[in-house]
Amino acid sequence: MAATARFTDFTYRYPEAPAAALAALSLALEDGMTLVAGPSGSGKTTLLRCLDGLVPHFHGGLASGRVEVLGQDLRGVTPRLLAQRVALVFQEPEAQMVLPVVDQEVAFGPANLGLSAKVVRERVERSLVAMGIAHLARRRVATLSGGERQRVALAGALAMEPRLLVLDEPTSQLDEEGARALRQQLDRLVARGVAVVVADHRPQRLPDRGVRHVFLRAGRLSAPEPAPVWPLRQRGSRASGELAWEATSLGVGHERAVLEGVNLRCHRGEVVAVTGANGAGKTTLLRTLAGLLKPIEGGLHREPGRRAYLPQDPGALLHQATVQAEIQQTIRWMGLEGSGSDVTAEFGLQELTGQDPRDLSTGQRQRVALAAILVGGPEMVFLDEPTRAADQASRQALFLAVDRLAGQGAAVLVATSDREFAEQVGDLVVVAEGGRLRNRAPVPA
Amino acid sequence: MALWHRQPGGSPEAAQELTSDVVNPRALLLWAGAVLLLSLGTEDPVYRAIALVAALAVVLMRRRPGARVSRLLAWVGLACLGGVGLNFLLSHTGQDVVLVLPGWLPAIGGSLTVEAAAYGFDVALGLGACLLAGSALALVVDSQQLVEALPRHLHRTGAALGSAITLVPRLGESFSTVREAQAMRGWRPRGPRSWRAVAVPAVLTAIEGSVLLAEAMDARGFASGGRTKVWTPAWSGRDLVDATFAALAIIVFIAALLLGRVGGWQPYPSLELPGVDWLPLLASLLLLLPAIA
Repeated sequence: MAATARFTDFTYRYPEAPAAALAALSLALEDGMTLVAGPSGSGKTTLLRCLDGLVPHFHGGLASGRVEVLGQDLRGVTPRLLAQRVALVFQEPEAQMVLPVVDQEVAFGPANLGLSAKVVRERVERSLVAMGIAHLARRRVATLSGGERQRVALAGALAMEPRLLVLDEPTSQLDEEGARALRQQLDRLVARGVAVVVADHRPQRLPDRGVRHVFLRAGRLSAPEPAPVWPLRQRGSRASGELAWEATSLGVGHERAVLEGVNLRCHRGEVVAVTGANGAGKTTLLRTLAGLLKPIEGGLHREPGRRAYLPQDPGALLHQATVQAEIQQTIRWMGLEGSGSDVTAEFGLQELTGQDPRDLSTGQRQRVALAAILVGGPEMVFLDEPTRAADQASRQALFLAVDRLAGQGAAVLVATSDREFAEQVGDLVVVAEGGRLRNRAPVPA
Repeated sequence: MALWHRQPGGSPEAAQELTSDVVNPRALLLWAGAVLLLSLGTEDPVYRAIALVAALAVVLMRRRPGARVSRLLAWVGLACLGGVGLNFLLSHTGQDVVLVLPGWLPAIGGSLTVEAAAYGFDVALGLGACLLAGSALALVVDSQQLVEALPRHLHRTGAALGSAITLVPRLGESFSTVREAQAMRGWRPRGPRSWRAVAVPAVLTAIEGSVLLAEAMDARGFASGGRTKVWTPAWSGRDLVDATFAALAIIVFIAALLLGRVGGWQPYPSLELPGVDWLPLLASLLLLLPAIA
């Protein structure tokens, strides 16, 4: 097979970064599908950005060695030119939306290629259908959920009909249907001779036949890490019977209800997981139960106590110069005691305490944000997509942290499109579907 | 499948989230240009007031479904009041004195007059009309539609501008997300310095978003060559009427200027009623048509 991309002794360091993001990397990515794996901060995103020329052309920094993409030396080709044959979907789909309406957004890339308007429209239509979002074509991007935006970003890349498709955490917010649609598309593209390079922490949601694996650690090729062993725990034994919050016939939404007739309660020591399709109202429900949105109808009773809230974008919490200062900020604001060293260790942040949180990878930022809100043991916890961009170790750390909090009597609500995590962590799993909330079968003990 | 039909359909709730394509962006650009011309081309408060009413009516009656205007109107109102207040406090010109502030007060010390307030009001009318006409561009059509409506040689600049416009609401969104997230973490507003905990991440998030957006645009081939105009805006009968009346307003007003029929208005030294000539009055009334037609 021909090499889609070839890295030869390639080292790259971001401007002002203390260490190289990729170090002496020699690697050939063949046609077909390649899965790039590795812990958060291992250089996966940097490697993917090389394939589009954004590293080093957009970011600057220091590079040595050689990278060839589709037969072209990266030194002589810019991202704009590579866009004729390479499409990249970023880790944060919400930040890469250029235009306000879904079909315009999907058309942005192909329109830049100078294709005829008719061809652009046909491609957009096909891509929207392929990602199962034709019904969203005229929706404003701002009204979409995170998962729906991820599908729009994927449709935008498909519409460019690239020779090389590069996807950074493409399933991080996708529901089951979205992941299935993506898997089918990737199968088709590979069969048509398109090379696909994907970094994803949940590879089980991607095609598994004929996939080559590349594992990175600290910017170098490495042996794969073993799959985590999820610890066993006694389910249902922690709930104290003491109510933490209760929703009765609750209607939630912004101007109109996205979920109605919600009857849900959470006791101290209990973990409730809300899952469901993209755009089903999981985030809206969580924000309402947390007290950030007013219910449209119905009753909501919440016992007094400290609440902790993780927003979908962990960057909303991070403003201190170091990870350590970020955790201590919560301790000061909440009038707590201690240094936060327990949560620092719990989320594996010991080696990052002196770093600026905003210089970290998305997965690492998520861990910092979790540590910052969970320090000191809150009594009610509301986590919105906490496994987003989380590697296996982070997912396990999160699982253990939630288990610990529940064990200490916290009432935990998790809204997630990560069905697997919901099943693992939830004492009760509820599904948002068709404007209603329905119970899944109780999680077996 | 008809993804490209521009008629919003479905339930009223669904329609709220769909874009409206009722107004042709070129017709709207022409109308906004006419409002700006009349607001800036005369100091007569009568014509300016009519231009302001026209702009307000278009914003309220032709805005996209779901577009919110209350905050915009509050800001425009505040800017206009500020204009009146500043001229009233700083001008110190005119015969009809309302109040005399001690001379030792810097800048505002001296006589405050009815004429200064009237002139400030006149300036506010012009300012309000301009702000609302500009806002109408963002509230009635999508920024992308405006960009596509620009001549091809302005397209790259326009696309960058269109993207920049989307950053303003992003900053607002980011600010409110950060504020609620920090509040849940124990932050409370205690004086100006405490807002740093909200402002810093909000601004940093917006800047990071801008950088990522620029990166995404690069990665998607923006400005790599000739960009295709995917949407050729359709002209409805109403668009043609709007554009025709806007063009007529411009022609009539320029004719009035050339004929010396647009008199200046100065309330100083003593207040007088503004003069009205039927030719510029006709031009300003033509601006109302997009709202009432």
